[in-house]
Amino acid sequence: MIQLSSVEFQYGEGHAGDFKIASADLEIPSTQSTALIGPSGCGKTTLLHLIAGILPARNGQILIDDTRIDQLNDRQRRLFRISKIGFVFQDFALLDYLNLFDNILHPYRINASLSLTREVKDRARSLAEQMGIGEKLYRHPAQTSQGEQQRAAICRALITQPSIILADEPTGNLDPSNKSAILDILLDQAKQNQASLIVATHDHDLLPSFDQVVDFPKLITS
Amino acid sequence: MIKAIGNSFFIAGRYLLYHKGRSLILIIALAIILFVPVFLNIIVSQSRKQLSSRADDTPLILGAPGSSLDLAMSNLYFVAKQPASITYQDAIDIEQSGLATAIPLHTGFRVGDFRIVGTTLDYFEHRQLNIKDGRLMAMLGEAVVGASAARRLNCSAGDSLVSTPENFIDIAGQYPLKMKVTGVLAATGTADDEAVFVDLRTSWVIAGLGHGHQDLSKNKDPSITLKSDDKNTVTANAKLITYIEITAKNLASFHFHGDDSGFPISSAILVPKDEKSKALLLGRYQNPSQSQTRQLIRPPLIMQELIDAIFRIKTVLDVVVIVVAISTALTILLVFILSLRLRARELTTIFRLGCGRLTTAGFVIAELFLIAAASLILAALLITLTNHWGHTLLIQMLQER
Amino acid sequence: MKRLHSICWAIAALSLLISCDSESEKPASPPAAESKVFVSNYPLAYFARRLSADPGQIYLPEINGDPAFWQPTAEDISTVQQCNPLILNGATYEKWLNTVTVPRRRIVDTSSSFQDQWINIENEVTHQHGPKGPHSHNGIVFTTWLDLSQAARQAQSLADALGEKNPLTNSDLPNQLKNLISDLDGLNAALKKLTNNKPQLQLVASHPVYQYFARAYNLDIQAVLWEPDVYPEEQQWTELEKILTTHPAQWMIWEGPPLEKSVQRLKKMGLGSVVFDPCANQPDSGDFLSIMQQNIKNLRPVFAQ
Repeated sequence: MIQLSSVEFQYGEGHAGDFKIASADLEIPSTQSTALIGPSGCGKTTLLHLIAGILPARNGQILIDDTRIDQLNDRQRRLFRISKIGFVFQDFALLDYLNLFDNILHPYRINASLSLTREVKDRARSLAEQMGIGEKLYRHPAQTSQGEQQRAAICRALITQPSIILADEPTGNLDPSNKSAILDILLDQAKQNQASLIVATHDHDLLPSFDQVVDFPKLITS
Repeated sequence: MIKAIGNSFFIAGRYLLYHKGRSLILIIALAIILFVPVFLNIIVSQSRKQLSSRADDTPLILGAPGSSLDLAMSNLYFVAKQPASITYQDAIDIEQSGLATAIPLHTGFRVGDFRIVGTTLDYFEHRQLNIKDGRLMAMLGEAVVGASAARRLNCSAGDSLVSTPENFIDIAGQYPLKMKVTGVLAATGTADDEAVFVDLRTSWVIAGLGHGHQDLSKNKDPSITLKSDDKNTVTANAKLITYIEITAKNLASFHFHGDDSGFPISSAILVPKDEKSKALLLGRYQNPSQSQTRQLIRPPLIMQELIDAIFRIKTVLDVVVIVVAISTALTILLVFILSLRLRARELTTIFRLGCGRLTTAGFVIAELFLIAAASLILAALLITLTNHWGHTLLIQMLQER
Repeated sequence: MKRLHSICWAIAALSLLISCDSESEKPASPPAAESKVFVSNYPLAYFARRLSADPGQIYLPEINGDPAFWQPTAEDISTVQQCNPLILNGATYEKWLNTVTVPRRRIVDTSSSFQDQWINIENEVTHQHGPKGPHSHNGIVFTTWLDLSQAARQAQSLADALGEKNPLTNSDLPNQLKNLISDLDGLNAALKKLTNNKPQLQLVASHPVYQYFARAYNLDIQAVLWEPDVYPEEQQWTELEKILTTHPAQWMIWEGPPLEKSVQRLKKMGLGSVVFDPCANQPDSGDFLSIMQQNIKNLRPVFAQ
């Protein structure tokens, strides 16, 4: 269960993109898929970053399961993020100098709390197989297509077996056939892992696939 | 902890490998900073050892008046502009005075880049040179080659070398001499490794002072004879031979025109019997009547002057190297800081994935460490390589002076 | 300017030194002390053997022909290079020295002490005998030992060299030298006594090698160029007849036993034949002393009253 109430956020005084979210309660039940919709620039990404603990909230409460992450310090938020959250970034955020396999395993190499075992590597391979990039695991991002990069980014989000998967415009850069395929994979993986899935999107065609749709602009007060 | 360090090195290694060009430039720049001062130090200390030990083994050198440094360098290292010659009689006179042993050297000719050193067997004994393969020269026209000259001329006992003509349009008709290599000297780490040794008389043959007679009638090439009549008179033109070769057949016919005491030598190493003889010799050649035609030098003193000059240069070089090293190090630092800025997006990504600042710093430190280690290895390699092979180029530069 | 020059050299020296391999191979010990003593002809070998504690250490190469015209091979010279000292007859005897490489510092020229008494001849003809090709007797005469007083001086220099250079030298050297010199003096005295009977006696020699002999023993010798084992051609007989017209000799001195045919023809011309072997080469039997004694014996009829 994810609960947000009266969350406020400001990028900084005089910042060009300043805005506040002063939402009423938003509840996302566990193991449900939620689409967060709204036009570009309305703050969907910021909200996902707040939930992930990447950005700290200025005011309000963010409760995930039993943890008030608005009350955690930087380090605690980071550890929480590692253990609970899988994030698919809008820009994929793959490292160009690692091949897809090493990109997928990257969370294990940068976090001392995670241990890179043979089992993890096998899981990475099997995830990649499921995602259809098993053949290209040892290529660098620059040698693969956007769809393949997106799949690798999803694999990286899933490798730690998170209980919450956050995806920021995961289909934004894809052609229509790839769009539904990627979404299906996300929904499928969330279901398999019994994870909550929150997808920020402005693509209304995708909405029927979700358990819940949240119209983000309705939640905020600028 | 160890795992974390291992991961840092893994990622740093991947980063450096992916950006090969960039990493290589950094590694090379750093390696040069490390290499140059060490290289200079090694060279200078070696040069001091080398210069003084060879000079100390050469108490006196007799030669024609002129630059004493040129005389010393041509006698000790066979590299200088050739000094004016003196005569073999000068060496004989010294021997007959009983004050010193005189070892004559004729260094006027070359085989390619290597000096032909015409001398006596006393030279080998004096310099404690040993034969590694083959034997010492025994007959006129035979040569013994220094270790590195043999390697670079790719010759061994049984092969032949042809002396390089000093002047391509030699109207006097002096021909290069084809010499038989009878042995290769063991390496000594001195200029002797770079020389081709022959008997003094063989040098005189190359100089055209001694010759044998070719058997003209046996020559099959008709273009070499100008005129041949029934009376078995054969007149040969200059095309007869392209080089002279001394063989068992024509050896007996080799002879020298004139008294060999008047033949030229470049200089002579004098090994005085004792200190008193040395003082007497020095006194004799300081006498104005002698010093106008001959000079007697003390190589240890001359080399000391040279060593002092080297150290003066080294002091200047040290300052230059330090300044260059500091500026290069600062540039490398700047490049590194700028590259971190360029990598801001990548650093944000790993932060968003849950990576702490300490771990991020770990990656950067691992990268620096790898670059430094690679630079050290490269610098060490460069020093080793230079010690072994770098001299080829430098010797060539030196001989092109 | 001088400073600039030395700086140029300093830079050159720096680069030069890099050329010297850092891991320099230490030269092994210099060639082991040479124990053999080289001698260039038989008289010297005889003297050296008498003076040496170990005659086996004396190295006289096996020479087929006159040692004065030896043409050594590289192998011969390699052996010579190992010897110390190198005892030479000198007086241009060792013509092969010009075409070989030997350690000149080890050379002992046994006739240099009487260099001012060497005999120089000119306008001699080149001639040929034996398998070794043509040669000439022009220049310095080298059969120095045929003046036995010179031979004694050569023995003296040889003894000096052995005492100085050869570590295996005989502690009894002074005594052995005394005996040798006394033997040579004995020969010299015997020859002097014999030849005194007929001072300035005119003789013909089969080969121009007796110049020192003639000078020492007050003889007037003219030489032809004959070989004992070759019957002279008619032209050579004519030349001899021509010599005899101005030089009425009654005896011809041969280097070795002549052909009977030659002896008979000479006899008809009024010339007796006598052998005086210069003994330059190792004799088949006997030694230098016995050969010289035999030579003196051979000469007796020549000087008989």
